[in-house]
Amino acid sequence: MESIDVAAQLQAVERGEAAPYISYPPTPWWYAPAIGAWAAAFIGVFTWWRENTALFTSFLVLLIVVEGLFLRWMQQRHGALPMPGRGRPPAEIAVVWRGYFAGVLVVAALVGLVWWLAGLGFAAAAAFVLVTAGLALYEAKYAVAAERVKARLR
Amino acid sequence: MIEGLDPVIHVPKRLAAMAMLANAATVSFRFLREQLEISESDLSKQMSALEAAGYVKATKDGHGRGATTTYAMTKLGQRAYQGHCAALRKLIGQP
Repeated sequence: MESIDVAAQLQAVERGEAAPYISYPPTPWWYAPAIGAWAAAFIGVFTWWRENTALFTSFLVLLIVVEGLFLRWMQQRHGALPMPGRGRPPAEIAVVWRGYFAGVLVVAALVGLVWWLAGLGFAAAAAFVLVTAGLALYEAKYAVAAERVKARLR
Repeated sequence: MIEGLDPVIHVPKRLAAMAMLANAATVSFRFLREQLEISESDLSKQMSALEAAGYVKATKDGHGRGATTTYAMTKLGQRAYQGHCAALRKLIGQP
């Protein structure tokens, strides 16, 4: 017990901490368009915001429930889904995550602008396109970063 | 034992498991077994030791063959893990 290999222990820590970020099943092809459709539906329910409160609330709750079920499925499929704010992501992944959150802000601002300029229908369509494309880009960048981490820790 | 090093987490398989648990809300038994490349019985033994120390909490979902077990790190486990890592880094003069 007294004789320890500190370097080996720290390496085990680094590999273990990285594992939830870099060991994951392949992302299904429908992932990005499905999230894009969810975002479009989320914007679309605002059609009923003033006209029908019951319909608006029901669909909003339904979408939130669907999101919760989806996250649960993702967590079960992955086995160790990393969550922002918990733990220490590898530096390569942290860069991609920062880009993701910046991208979310940009997409939200663009959708808001389209809503203001062209109306709700166009905003929902813009949400579908921007979220789908943004997620596809994020997934590609994440895969490259994950490979870099794997190579570094090999 | 060197000051700050936790004898429960000091075991390499448990240290690696704690590192994974520190970076995900929950970690499944399957994921831990695949990453650690150890037998089910060995993993069960290691996780039981972490549970007994109060460092992790296990949740069983379902019954029979389809049942899944997931683990989450407790606040006590988080403190112990962070303390252990800090002690390791101190030993080699890392901040």
